[in-house]
Parts: sequence; C-alpha cells; structure tokens
Amino acid sequence: MRPGVRIAIDKIFTVVAGASVVCLCLVLVAVLGPMLWRGGSAVVFKETVEFRKMQLVLFGRGDEDKIAAESRQAETARAKIYSTIEKFKGGIDSGNLIEKARQIYRQFGNDLRQTDQTAEEVAELRSVTRQIRDRLESAFASSNTAEVNESLAYVLNFKDDPRFKNTSAAGLIGLAEQYSKDIHGINLAERQRYYQELRQVEDILIELLGPAPGAATPALMMNRFGATRWDLAQKLLGRLLWYEEWIKQGQGQPMVRHLTPRSQRFAGTEIEGLFAYIQQNLPEMLKPRPTFYWQYFIDDSTPGHYFGGVGPEILGTLLLTILAMLFVVPFGVISAAYLVECASDNFVMRIIRMSINTLAGVPSIVFGLFGLAFFVLFFLPIFGAPSKGCILAASMTLAVLTLPVMIRASEEAIRAVPQTYKEASLALGASRFRTFVKVTLPAALPGILTGVILSLSRVAGETAPVLFTGAVALGPVPKSIFDPTRTLSYGSYDMAVGDKLAAMVPHNQFGMVVTLVLLILCLNTVAIVLRSRVFKKLAGH
Amino acid sequence: MKRLVFSLALLMLAATGLVRAETLQIDGSTTVGPIADAFAEYFMRTNPGLEITVKKTGSGDGAAALIDSRCDIATLSRFMKDKEFKSAVDHNVFPVAHAIAMDGVCIIVHPSNTVAALTTAQVRDIYNGKTKNWKEIGGPDAEIVIVSRDTSSGTYETFHEKVMNKEELAKNVEYVNSNPQAQARVKTTAGAISYVGIGFVDAEVKALKIDGIAPTKQTIANGTYPVARPLFMFTNGYPKLGSTVFKFCTFYLTEKGQEIILAKGFVPVTNY
Amino acid sequence: MESSAIKAKQGTLLDTLAPAADSHRPLVLTPTEDIRGFLTLHLGRMALFLVTCTSVLAVFLIFLFVIREALPFLAKFSITEFLTSTSWYPEAVTPKFGTLALLVGSGYVTIVSIIFAVPVGILAAVFLSDIVSMKIRNIIKPIIEILAAIPSVAYGFFAVMVLAPWMQQKFGFSTGTNALNASLVLAVMALPTIISVSEDSISAIGRELREASYGCGATRMETIFKVVIPAAHSGIIAGIVLGMMRAIGETMVVWMASGNAAQIPHPWWDLSQSVRTLTATIAGDMGETEKGSPHYRALFAAGLLLLVITLCLNMVSEYFLIRAKKAGGKR
Repeated sequence: MRPGVRIAIDKIFTVVAGASVVCLCLVLVAVLGPMLWRGGSAVVFKETVEFRKMQLVLFGRGDEDKIAAESRQAETARAKIYSTIEKFKGGIDSGNLIEKARQIYRQFGNDLRQTDQTAEEVAELRSVTRQIRDRLESAFASSNTAEVNESLAYVLNFKDDPRFKNTSAAGLIGLAEQYSKDIHGINLAERQRYYQELRQVEDILIELLGPAPGAATPALMMNRFGATRWDLAQKLLGRLLWYEEWIKQGQGQPMVRHLTPRSQRFAGTEIEGLFAYIQQNLPEMLKPRPTFYWQYFIDDSTPGHYFGGVGPEILGTLLLTILAMLFVVPFGVISAAYLVECASDNFVMRIIRMSINTLAGVPSIVFGLFGLAFFVLFFLPIFGAPSKGCILAASMTLAVLTLPVMIRASEEAIRAVPQTYKEASLALGASRFRTFVKVTLPAALPGILTGVILSLSRVAGETAPVLFTGAVALGPVPKSIFDPTRTLSYGSYDMAVGDKLAAMVPHNQFGMVVTLVLLILCLNTVAIVLRSRVFKKLAGH
Repeated sequence: MKRLVFSLALLMLAATGLVRAETLQIDGSTTVGPIADAFAEYFMRTNPGLEITVKKTGSGDGAAALIDSRCDIATLSRFMKDKEFKSAVDHNVFPVAHAIAMDGVCIIVHPSNTVAALTTAQVRDIYNGKTKNWKEIGGPDAEIVIVSRDTSSGTYETFHEKVMNKEELAKNVEYVNSNPQAQARVKTTAGAISYVGIGFVDAEVKALKIDGIAPTKQTIANGTYPVARPLFMFTNGYPKLGSTVFKFCTFYLTEKGQEIILAKGFVPVTNY
Repeated sequence: MESSAIKAKQGTLLDTLAPAADSHRPLVLTPTEDIRGFLTLHLGRMALFLVTCTSVLAVFLIFLFVIREALPFLAKFSITEFLTSTSWYPEAVTPKFGTLALLVGSGYVTIVSIIFAVPVGILAAVFLSDIVSMKIRNIIKPIIEILAAIPSVAYGFFAVMVLAPWMQQKFGFSTGTNALNASLVLAVMALPTIISVSEDSISAIGRELREASYGCGATRMETIFKVVIPAAHSGIIAGIVLGMMRAIGETMVVWMASGNAAQIPHPWWDLSQSVRTLTATIAGDMGETEKGSPHYRALFAAGLLLLVITLCLNMVSEYFLIRAKKAGGKR
C-alpha cells in the first residue's frame, strides 16, 4: 500500500476510535439525562394551593392561617363553576334523580320498621314500592320518549293510593311529576349525551380542584385534594378543554384521535362559557408558586407514592448497606491480611483464591436464591427467628455478595504499601502482628476505605438479592432488624412496572430512581477522591 | 465514629425486644391489591398504632403465605385450588373465603384499534396463535402483540379457565407480572391485546365487548358478562368477632368500604 | 553520654512498638514466653485462616443449597426434557418444564450485547491507552466508572420507560420490550468491564514492542492492530468473557425490558421479538410459587444451570487472565 493511503487509514482510525469514546459519553448523557431531568421535577416544581393543603394535613407543615386564607380565595374563584354546573344539572341529571329515588325508598323502608304493621304487609308494601322505584329509575335512565312516558304513567297511577299518602314514598310520586314537567319538549337523546359528558367534566374537575364544596369527604386520601402540581394541572386542563374521540378511517386502518373543544360539545347550553372561564382563571383557583421540596428525601409516602417522598426507602437502603458492611468489612480485611501476609502458594491457597473468584462470578439472582434457601429458610429458624424475609437475612446475603469485592480491594491496598514500611518496622523489633496492625493497616486504610465505599455502592444498588430475602413494596418503617423493609432499588422496580397509581405520578417514579443513582454516584465520587489522595500519598514516598 | 456505628447496631438489636404495635399482614393478588391498600390506608388512619403490610406478588403467593401462616389475610382473585386447600389442611390452616367485590376480566386493546367486540372463540384463537394479524378479525393491518399475565396469577387462571378452556397459550405470548404492567403495555402499543381486572380499565385503553356483552358494573354484578369473577380474601378460620381481622374482612359490607371499592373501579357485592 | 542517650531513645522507640514487653528484653526467651509466642503465632494464623475460609464456605454452601433444592426436581423429571424442550408451562395441569427457549433467550441477548459492546469497547480501550494523553485519559476514566456504577435497576428503568417507547415510535416495532432493547442496555452495562480489563492488559504490554513496530515504519493503526492487540489478546479475551458473565447474569434489565415471551424468535435474526431469559424467569416466578412445589424446585434447577454456565465462563476467563499475566511478565 502507498504510504499516503496508510497514513489516511491511520487518521481515519484515530477518528473512529475517538468516536467510540464520544459514543460512550453520549450514552451516559442519554441514560442519565432524562432521568435526572424528570426526577428533578420531584423536588423542584411549581406547587399549588392543593399541595400546601396536603402538606398541612399529612405532615403538619406550613402556616395554617395563610393556607386557610388562600383556600378561601381559591374557593371564591371556583364558586362560579359549581353554581353553573348545579343549574345545568337540575335539568338533566338522571343520576341524581336515581339517587334521590333510592334514598326515598330506603327512608320508606326505615319508616316501615317503626310502624306496627304485620310482617307480610310490610313485605308487600316494600315490594310494591320497589317496583315503583325501579320503573322510575328506568324512566330517568332511558332516552326513549315513549318508554319514559309509559313508566311515568305507571308511577303516577299510585298518586292517589292511600297506602302511600303522607308517607315518605309520596316523594317518589313527586319526583315523577317533576320529571314529566322537566322533560316536556326536551330532546332526550341530547340529554343523555349532555349527562354523560358532564359526568366526564365533573370527574376531571374533581381531579383538578378536589371534591366539590359540600360533597362528602372521600375515604381515600388521594381523592381529597386536587392537582398538587401545576404541570399536572395543565395536563388536566388539556383534558378538560378538549373532547377526545377515536374516528374510524378506512378498512384495515387504525382509528385516529380527534379532538373537539368541549365548549362546542355543549354549544347553546349554560356551561358553554365555563371552559374559557376556567382556562383564564386557573391561576387564581390554584395559586401556583415555584417550590423546592427538599423534604422529599425524608417524608413518608401514601400508598402508591401518590403523595409524599422516599424517606423510608432511603432509610431501608441505608440500614441494609450499613448492616451488610458491618458483616463484610471484618471478614474482608482479615481475609486480605491473611492472603497477603501468611499465604504460600500451595494447594489450599489455590482453592481459596478460586473460591473468591467463583464468588465474584455468581449471578445476583442466584445469590437471591441462596439467601432464600439458606438464610431465610435454614439459618434464621436455628436462632428461633421467624422464617420470613427481613433486614438481617437481606444484609447477610448482600454481605456474601460483596465479599470478593472487599477482599480484592483490601488485598490491593495492603499490597500497595511499600515494603520499606514493613521492613523498617520489623527492623525496629516489632512483631509481625504489631507491624501489621500499627504500620501496614493505617497505611492501607485509604485503599481499604475505597473498597468499602465501592462495596457500599454495589450493595445499595442491588435488587435481585433482596427480592426474596427482605424487601417489600409497601410496608411500615421497620422496627427491628427482623422486619422487612422498603428499599430504593426494589421501590424503583415496583414503581416502574408494578404500581397502578405510580403511572399517574411519573415525577415520583423518576424521583426514586434518581435518588438511588445520585446516592450511588455521590459514594463513588467520594471513593474517587479518596483514591487520588491515596495515590498522591504513596507516590510521594 | 466507631462508637456511633457500634451503638447504632446495638440499638437496632435491642429494639427487637421492644413492645410492638398491632400488626396485620396481607399478601396476595395484584388485582385485589389496590382494594387492600385502600382499606389498609383507611384502617391505619382511623386506628393509630395499627400497622398493616400489604404485599402484592400474585394470588399463588398469597395462598402459599396463608398456608405457611406468614400472613393474616390472603387476597386472591380466584378461589383456592384443590392442592392449596389440601396443603392448607395438612398445615392445620382452614381457609375461609370472604368475597369482597366483583370483578370482570376485561379484554383490552389500544383505543386506536377499530375492533370493539369479539367472541370468546376469537379471543381464544388469538391467544393460542391461530390469528396473527388484526385484519383477520376486522381490525387494522397490524401484527397482534399478545400480552398475558404470568402463570401464577389469579387473573391468568380465570382467563385460562373461562376463555381458553385450559388450552396452551402460543409461544410468542409476552408475560407481564401485574395488572398495571399489562395496562401499560396496551396503552403504549397500538397492536397489543391483554386482559386486566375492571379496576384497571381507564380512558387510555379500550375494553372490548365479549360475546356481545360489555363489561359494566351491571353486567358484572348480575353475572351476564362471561368472564365475571368474585375477588376473595381468605383467612385462617372465621376471624374472631370484633378483632381487627374481622373488621377488615367485613369492611366491604359498610358504606365506606363500598365507596372505596367503587372508587377503585370494582363492583361492590351488594348493589344498594 | 551519647550512647546512653541513644540507648534511651531506642528504649522509648521499643516501648511504642512493643510496650507490653519488658524494656530490658533479654535476648533469650524464657520457656513460657517461648511457648506463649509460639501459641499466639500459630493460633492467630489458624484464626485468620478460618476467617479466610469463609469465602470457600460461602461458595460451598451456595452450591449445596441450590443443589439441595434442585435435586428432587432433577430426580423426578428428565434432564434431557429440561434442557431441550421449548415448552415452559409450569402451572399447567400437566406442568412442562422445558428451558431451551429460556437458554436460547439468555444466550441470544448475551451474544448480541457482546456484538455491540466488543468493537466499541476495544476501540475505546485502545484510544485510552495508546492514542490519548494522560490528562485526557484521567478525564475519561471517571466517565467509564460512572457507567459502571449506575445500578442495574436504573438501567432497567431507562430501558422500559425511555428506550421502549422510543423504539416503538422510531422503528415501528410492534413491541418496544424486545431482544434488541435488552441487548443494547446489556451492552452498555458490559462495556466498562471490557474496557477496563482490555485497557489494563494493553497498557501492560511494554514500550519495547511498540517502539520496535514504529521503528519498522508502521503507522499507529498498524501497530495497534497488528502488534499490540495480538500481544494483549489474552487479556482482551478475558475482558470479553467477563463482560459476557455480567450480561448473562443480569436480572433486572432483562426482566423489565425483554418482554418475557418464552419463545425462540421466529426468523432467528429478528431482534424485534420478545424473548425471555433464565434470570428473568427465576426472578419473576419465585415470588409466587409455593415453597417445595415442583415449580419452585424447577426454578432452583434453572438457577443451578445458570451457576454452572457462569462457572465455566469464569474458568475460561481465569485461564486467559493467567496467560495474559504470563505474557505481560515475560516482556
């Protein structure tokens, strides 16, 4: 080949090799970037008055008077919405009417128990009333005028029945009369559509602004507050303002999404202008404000991580790692000391080294199986502890997992101590043990610490070994080491694939993963800094 | 530093002996899981000092935990199998079923899919691999991505029994471990089909009519929907009247309990 | 005068190093002191030896317990069916435990990830050791260490939440959780291992070889490809095998991102189909099986299979590492 071509190939190769490293950096950015960005929004975001209310109720945080004042302001802004909807509902709300009918029936049932009629009479009255109620319900629910009129006629037949006069059951007949007046001349088909779409609008409003004033407090905490974040509120606003339907295209084609403004869907009714009003006045109704929610790292969370932070998970991870370190550091350092100081290259030593290398290669899920079969089912019952997953079992499994890392790092650190230190100490008359403890070990300490920190970061990030030995997705803060715990690693897995509520709060999903990654990266940075200090120290001699 | 670590370790070990608050352990199905979670949240709020742990890894695990006496209440989305019953009795555990809600296994597809109704036989053909493309059954021209629950799940059992008639599923079926995961797969994949409990159907997926009947609260409550099923909580024997376990297992009869069940998307057993 | 001062200094030094001993320690030991010294030395060594043997004990126990749980299954079901059947229906009325599809899935994902990782890894290792100055190398090394430090569940999260939807949109795959997704992420996870081990062995090749090659008039690329890499080939192969071990033993990423369909992809080169690995099967099924049932034991048998495979790979990489050390030592 001509020299020019060879030089050209050389230059191309340099560029390609450089490109591979650039590729690596891009991959790192691609993996960490979206996670850090979206996870960061768990801590830095725009909060609304609903968030402040939630913090006050769940964690007792915040100025009660200020929040109460803000709530009142928000409510005045929202009042118009509810009044408009109430007026509109009066005409079309079959659900409400059905509910009223049921209540009257129940009331009548209760009343009957107070009277002194015989059991058969009571049963007969109840069944007749039940029939009336059912016909009334079908009248309310149907959109077929003929059917409705027929059912109403049936009910109105009982108007002059002496059994129901002056009882609460008369209310049913009153409802029927009112209804026949209301629907006179209204297009029943549109009415059904209005009713269904109004239900959608109301549901979105509940998610956006919380339960309507005067409604019963919902049983679930997550339904008691509206949108706690401004970005969530914007999403809900989008759903509120636009009506989504799927339109057929052609044969063999998938359907496409079609959006129409909701004001169009309710054209000509009282609530047509409501949507523009909501859009304009949303800041007044929710009072957004940027905030830095650092308590995310110490707060407990409601089920599904809908509200709250990752405090217990961080605690669980820390407990597991510290306990695992307590087990592994003595074993690792002592083994390394033996391998360096007293080992000779015989058969036994080769077996030991082979075992350490084997241990390093075992997959983490097999450690999980081992932890389950040995620690949970065999080891714990020997000491009388209940045979279930707990922090103790999980940390012992993690200790075995990380033992080779610890041994290797310690061995390297101890070997890196210059021979001259050891020789000088021995020359001064110290025994080998004293030499090791007082001279070699302190000199190797930075290296050993680096090993400890690298093991820590490995242990904090492992999920497979703790799956069956100690981690739960939902549970109380552990009270002792014989309880299972939540961890950042298992929690991240559960949030990504296991939880229904988690999909509604993507910032919390990413927040947990980012917390884990940041924790580990911090530990590794400390290790890197320590290691450069070690190099400087030892190189200087 | 060393002393701090040491004393921390001692403290933790010492804490073992401290008096514990009352605890309740619930294990089992991912379908019933959200109901158990919500009940637990309500109970823990109204009884401070009570601690409830809920694990959701599958009906099979719930049954196994009850048999090993590792949990107080096992949630299952299917009835206990014969082997499980026998094994329980062998371990001196006598399972009592409480049907707390009703559920329908809904076949879901992506909203952009033109198919809105299928028969049981058609669903069976999809899942055993005979039908490979949506256009064969009136949908768009796209490959069918079949998603199923894993084999230890109660939802899978119900589906396998009532729709598949115990036939083997095709080899290329993707398995997911939980209801939310199945829903997430269908939500993001235009050609996917899967099955979830009715509590997991929302605006982002479309539930199909099976044999002409749509899965609604009414059709599930009166059993006309072909794949309707009750959701169970199993206890060891009937719980002692007035105990926490008793209150938990009968919570579904109260108004608050039914409100929660409705809020989670399931159908209360009674239809007041 | 001076000698007494020196003696005093010596005395204090001796005191700090051996304070328990008498400062006027005789040169001849009494019998008790002799025996005490002997006992402490050898008992101490014995104690240290026992502690060191915990790792041997741990490996032994791992094998023992995994085999103990797997043995009843292997005794009852035929091993050939276990290894060669593609039907994995453990909860069916007549359970079928065929792991061929799972083995193929594991192997497939591992091999594809290595195909992606090896070129990039070796090029990067070569770049870092031969082409770039020490300063830049010390800037790039931390990036590789950060890639190695990110926990596997974070990679799995990335694969299922970010990569899968993107893949579905961009390439129009019918499913975003497939073999390609899992392989790409596994390649990223195996890269740091490959790069660091290869780089170590390339750096261990002395300067003489390179200088000789340059002296003959070779360009840098030719030197690297025809002299350096062949000289360091044992270390590079060891690095690749270690990367393979990482990929095959990885659980969380494949559990979340590979789709978990127990099938062998139909046109075997179709990466957009979903596969299932041994590790994901164990992790996914274990939580729900009854302890002691055939399914439970089958999972332990799968774990044993995995252990055997990784052990063989381990021995292969050990062999190559020893060869690399010998090769590096000679020069």
